[in-house]
Amino acid sequence: MVLLSMILLPVLVAPFAWLGERLHKDLPKYLSLAVGAFLALCTAYLLVKYPGNGNGFAFHEFYRIYPPFDFNLHLAVDGISLVLIAITAFLAITVTLSSWHVERPGAFFFLVLIFLGPMVGVFASLNLLWFFIFWEFTLVPMFFHIGIWGAENRIYAAMKFFIYTHLASVFLLLGIIVLYLSTGTFEFEKLVGVHLSPEIAKLVWILMFIGFAVKMPVVPFHTWLPDAHVQAPSPISVFLAGLLLKMGAYGLLRWELFLFPQTSKFFAPLMAFIAVLTIFYAGFRALAEDHIKRMVAYSSINHMGFVLLGLASLTAAGISAAIYEMVGHALIISLLFMIAGYIHHKTHTWYISELGGLMKKIPGLMTMFVIGVLAAVGLPGTAGFVGELTVMLAAFDYYGWIMIIVPLASALGAGFFMWMLQRAVFGPLREGFENLKSLKELPLVENVPLAMYIAAFILVGVIPAVVFNLYNPVVNTFAQLFK
Amino acid sequence: MNINFLAAVMILALTGAFLPVINRVFRISGILGAIISSIGYVVSLFLVIISDQGRSILNSFFVTDDVSRLIGGMVLVASWMTMLVIYWITEKDKFVNELIGALMISTAGALLLISAENFVSLIIAMELMTMPTYLMVLFAFDDTSLEAGVKYFFNGALAVGFMLFGISLLYGMTGSFEFAALAKNLFKDPLVALAAVFIFAGFGFKLTAFPFHFWGPDVYDGTCPGVAALLTGISKSAAFIGLMRVIYEAIPVISKEFTLILAVIAAVTMTVGNLLALAQKRVSRILAFSSVAHAGYTLVAFAALSVPVSVTGILYHSVAYVFMKTAAFLCFAVFLFIWGARTMDDYKGLGRREPLLAALFLIFLLSLAGVPPMAGFISKVFVFTAAVDAGMTWLALIGLLNSAFSVAYYIWIAKQMYLEEPTLDKPINDSPKKNFVLIPLAVMAVLLIVLGIWLTPVLNASAVYAAKVGF
Repeated sequence: MVLLSMILLPVLVAPFAWLGERLHKDLPKYLSLAVGAFLALCTAYLLVKYPGNGNGFAFHEFYRIYPPFDFNLHLAVDGISLVLIAITAFLAITVTLSSWHVERPGAFFFLVLIFLGPMVGVFASLNLLWFFIFWEFTLVPMFFHIGIWGAENRIYAAMKFFIYTHLASVFLLLGIIVLYLSTGTFEFEKLVGVHLSPEIAKLVWILMFIGFAVKMPVVPFHTWLPDAHVQAPSPISVFLAGLLLKMGAYGLLRWELFLFPQTSKFFAPLMAFIAVLTIFYAGFRALAEDHIKRMVAYSSINHMGFVLLGLASLTAAGISAAIYEMVGHALIISLLFMIAGYIHHKTHTWYISELGGLMKKIPGLMTMFVIGVLAAVGLPGTAGFVGELTVMLAAFDYYGWIMIIVPLASALGAGFFMWMLQRAVFGPLREGFENLKSLKELPLVENVPLAMYIAAFILVGVIPAVVFNLYNPVVNTFAQLFK
Repeated sequence: MNINFLAAVMILALTGAFLPVINRVFRISGILGAIISSIGYVVSLFLVIISDQGRSILNSFFVTDDVSRLIGGMVLVASWMTMLVIYWITEKDKFVNELIGALMISTAGALLLISAENFVSLIIAMELMTMPTYLMVLFAFDDTSLEAGVKYFFNGALAVGFMLFGISLLYGMTGSFEFAALAKNLFKDPLVALAAVFIFAGFGFKLTAFPFHFWGPDVYDGTCPGVAALLTGISKSAAFIGLMRVIYEAIPVISKEFTLILAVIAAVTMTVGNLLALAQKRVSRILAFSSVAHAGYTLVAFAALSVPVSVTGILYHSVAYVFMKTAAFLCFAVFLFIWGARTMDDYKGLGRREPLLAALFLIFLLSLAGVPPMAGFISKVFVFTAAVDAGMTWLALIGLLNSAFSVAYYIWIAKQMYLEEPTLDKPINDSPKKNFVLIPLAVMAVLLIVLGIWLTPVLNASAVYAAKVGF
């Protein structure tokens, strides 16, 4: 019942948040915070009770819907899903705190809550059709979040986001249908090791890969993301980067690599090529970007390239590293998006060339920004360092010296971030900023989530074992399939 | 046919027939009329549900099986909800009871159509379903509805003509109208194929399948939207089932030859419907062209007739469609009544003006677009599963891409309602009893969500039917 309640409770509470606004303006956010706390408690329970050997799934819940068609809600978690559910709970709390003063809180938190339930469902579902149902439903609240609370071009971005990602899901759905017709089941545990003819397996693999690649996103399927990120309100950018992109990588890992190890091996060079392309393309785009949020968005694509590279290595080390990179990315990029949003809020400009010397006016916020940027470029002691390093080691291991180009891209990442810091944060204060009334430190409640991100990515950076130990046994078991 | 089912049809038709008479004699108010017709609906719904007990009559004409009970129940619920909404939006019109009477008789015809297993009864049922709607289309008594009515009448007459010609050819060859007898006696012959083409053409008109779709949007747009809800939702769903029985029970020998033709018609129908819907400015025309596109999706399942999943696809899509399309048009009707909103520009900001009504409309639009967990999603899964299973992955891909592109105009309406500033300031008909009209719409929304997750009733019915037609 734990997993089901984590999916249902947010959805059931959501209408109360919507209507509760009429009773009291603050009620929706407290409800959302309560649900976040509930998710965190449940996650803590799952983490404590999770059998340490981690060999496979735990906490099975099976709800019969229509057995002959194999349409049953089967929920269970292993170490990998557990990590992502933990991030969901963590972001539920931090996003609520970051949106403390949002306009129209009733509708906003209604959408947050109906987003969270299916999000847990995506990570906990072992039935492919249910996975898809949860997967698709997350689009609806996201569409309204971007479209209602976004920046000037929000409607364009929301429409593009919905149509683009829905179109991608069509390929995923077709892949699911072909897979079902070839195997007669949607169940993960029945699908593991199932034998498909190579042509069918390749067809299914490609169809599903398109769906996952758009969501991740990787070049050339990424064009929806910068628009969505730039227009979305910052807390929603956090959901986008922290959870929505992870759905793509998680889906790729769970429903493609683990299910079709041989086919994945066949396509691994393609994945690696796309990954390196993504890393470089996004790196260069970020370097050329003057818009601070768009720059963070491209750096986010760059990091997802690392995730894909880790997955493409098809080794236990690489997959573990990719999952770790997902965790680190979720925490670090969330911090950067939040602060980029605050910078715009305070200075009324998005453009790096119009900023300067912010450190002099708002040292507290800017210190956190610098910490976040250093983590993003891979400062040792943060999650960014461990993630990129382990991914690169795995890639070297599998693909050899050709991967020497990847650290170059990493240097590129350091380059664009440092250049941005030098122009926007340090240096002389820009004219007109001395007397800008809005340019002051954040209220305490909005500092809390930022501090939580920093504490989290330093914690997992210093003691990576807290994350690695959770899913390494699972990954090791599945990595045997690739041998 | 089961005597309970027949009683259900008779009670519905008689309630409908006597409603105007009662009104003329006793001058009943809107609410009283709604209560009387609701009693008719409830009784006949009850009779449909229990219709597997009781004596059988008229056996070679009609059949009462799981399909007719399931779809019959769904059609009755949809029609009942339509009746409630129509009463609400046309309460003060002095002819409203005539309109409701015609609606009930037409629904009775739909009930007969979904259980017809003989070409004579099929034609009678279809005409019983259609004749009252000729009258209903003219109900607004203005120029556009006159034009729509004329178009509708001539196309309907043409459709019946085509079908009768095809049927007469079959009769000439076998000397029988019965589906079972035809299936036994027919053999592969060019003349049989010709007859099938004419019968398909007749159904093509009813379903607004390409190239017989031209009348559809003009009529749905020209008449009052409550009537359009009946035409695009209830009548079409019933016609799907009628065509399903013809294909699987009457002419199975020849229908497999039509796979490719049906597939091409399906592909063109959905593409044309979606492309034209994208170009529309009036919400009623968008819904009308989306109804053409949905005829295409259903035809995908018909094209996949060599596999049993096709039956599931047809049934599920009919069930989902009868609610989502009827309800979408009814939402449009209510918006038109309260705000006078017709075009996309009028819909700006209506989400803020009517939060609950707009939320319901959103559910129906998302279901039409195929977003889970609504029934429209799972029905599309079955339709396209059937196509892939029958070896027509290309058709499934075209259908899925179409479905993804159709999201553009559904979400466009949502965008207008929720993301734009309102343009309409004052409602033209503000009723204090506004929340009553939400109840029938909410019932359909709940049914759509429940049927999107609880697959058992439809899948069981389709399994029984698939076994019956020999899969």
